[in-house]
Amino acid sequence: MVQLGISAFYHDSAACLVVDGVVIAAAEEERFTGIKHDNSFPVNAINFCLQQARIKISNVKEVCWYEKPRIKEERVNKIFNKRPFRTFFLKRKAKKSFQENNPFVVLKGIGYKGRVKFIDHHRSHANFSYYTSPYQKAAILTIDGVGEWETITISKGQGNRITKVYTVDYPNSLGMLYSTITSYLGFKPNEGEYKVMGLAPYGDPSKYIGKLYKVLDKSKSKLYLLQKYFTWEYSDKIMFNKRLCRLLELPPRLPEDTLTQEHKDLAASLQMLYEKEFLNLVRKSKELTGTSNLCLGGGCAYNGVANTLAYKYFDSVHVPFAPTDAGSAIGACLKKHTKVSPYLGSEYKNSEVKKLLLKYKDKIQWFKLTDDKLIRTTAELLESQKIVAWFQGRMEFGARALGNRSILASPKFGIMRQKLNNIIKKREGFRPFAPSVTLDDAPLFFNIKEPVPYMNQVVKAKVKWLPAATHIDDTARVQTVTEDFNPIYYKLLKEMKALCKIPVLLNTSFNRKDETITENPKQAIDRFLDSEINFLVINNFLIRKI
Amino acid sequence: MKKKIQDIIQKWKREKEYQKKLKELKKRDPFTYKNF
Repeated sequence: MVQLGISAFYHDSAACLVVDGVVIAAAEEERFTGIKHDNSFPVNAINFCLQQARIKISNVKEVCWYEKPRIKEERVNKIFNKRPFRTFFLKRKAKKSFQENNPFVVLKGIGYKGRVKFIDHHRSHANFSYYTSPYQKAAILTIDGVGEWETITISKGQGNRITKVYTVDYPNSLGMLYSTITSYLGFKPNEGEYKVMGLAPYGDPSKYIGKLYKVLDKSKSKLYLLQKYFTWEYSDKIMFNKRLCRLLELPPRLPEDTLTQEHKDLAASLQMLYEKEFLNLVRKSKELTGTSNLCLGGGCAYNGVANTLAYKYFDSVHVPFAPTDAGSAIGACLKKHTKVSPYLGSEYKNSEVKKLLLKYKDKIQWFKLTDDKLIRTTAELLESQKIVAWFQGRMEFGARALGNRSILASPKFGIMRQKLNNIIKKREGFRPFAPSVTLDDAPLFFNIKEPVPYMNQVVKAKVKWLPAATHIDDTARVQTVTEDFNPIYYKLLKEMKALCKIPVLLNTSFNRKDETITENPKQAIDRFLDSEINFLVINNFLIRKI
Repeated sequence: MKKKIQDIIQKWKREKEYQKKLKELKKRDPFTYKNF
């Protein structure tokens, strides 16, 4: 059976194609439109998936929609009806949006008239996390902003069955609270949360934790947020009001304002609050399910610092490669355990790349090398402090570049971090970079409990001499690489080991500030030419500027 | 008395600043998490 999974109209729109239970292709719409977290109907991603499988939309037997729009609309109306006058225009706007974004209407627009199956928002998260995990029995904890009503769920997975055992409903949302403070700190909600996480180790959490906890009503048995500080229920412009400013005794920061120590302290306090509440939920997951494995899902599962804390109650923790709504496009289709690689996107042949290179012949010089020669040369370049953009095989699905659309550098040189942050990626200097390391060598360098293939856990570094890839608190959001997982990237890391005894590389996504990750070779060459990156590798071609 | 007045002025200034920043943030579209 051919299934098309779709996530759309919220954030991180994506599509995937599943044939007889096997995920053939998947991509996020943003990679084709260049709009970060694009929430439009993923028509480009759908076309890509169909082309990849060489089928037409008429061959699709079932569309699996990642949430239930009718229930979501009911929630929106019910919330707006609390303040009918204040939300009059907003309600009209929402009504129009639900009408225009009706799945049946948009699917008809691309020529699909078949069956549409709607899955609960958090069930899609839970499916994606549990069915891509290696466990036959696990607790599944999903935390995000909001789905239909739910903001947090705990489920028990056993065999192919998932049973929900605990929920927290909107407007009590840990994800929304994190996003609110993210916006308070001058970062864009649903985008800047990882910046807040990166900023947190620079601050003192004791400064604002007491004040921040006042937004929670701790007398309630479930997470309960005092709505008097927030405007989610009646504003689509801002997430908090003056009461929150008075409580924190700190003016909100505008994006262009300087980051002060107070901002760092607030980030640290928020991260501490999140970690405490997250640990409470992890403990509850253990109590309610009695299992030793934990699957995490929802956007909050990108909080790698908190994820690592889950080992306090669980022996093994699985975080899938795209725990946000993008991954839900896949989750909506899955009904049983399936091995899914994150490399589900586009791929370009050497012949296509060569044709393109010829068009740039007055700007670049290229060498076609064998795999072995390419790996050796790239390793030598990296060892000589060069920055290399690395474009190989199929594009990753999810927010992380896992070695196929990456910018690589040696982590030994502290200057690399400044160079990448300030000159190449042009982003905030406080933000850390992640290291990739071969799994077999990882325990020598990092304090990992188990393999971390998708870069979603922040662990302590055991060595002090990887300054470009470790954070101020000596932690790193590490990626462990095996030969099965990514053969060419693994070989490159091994070559680094042969060359300088360190099988570690700084791995950051191939894009600049506010850009989406590079999708195709043309984009790769244009970005390479327009940056300070020293070399570009696309498949077997080593490219340099003239 | 002087301190009391200073406190009131300080509080008023702070409120003004909150107001100004909130107003400015509202203009930055979209500076919120979509809830529908």
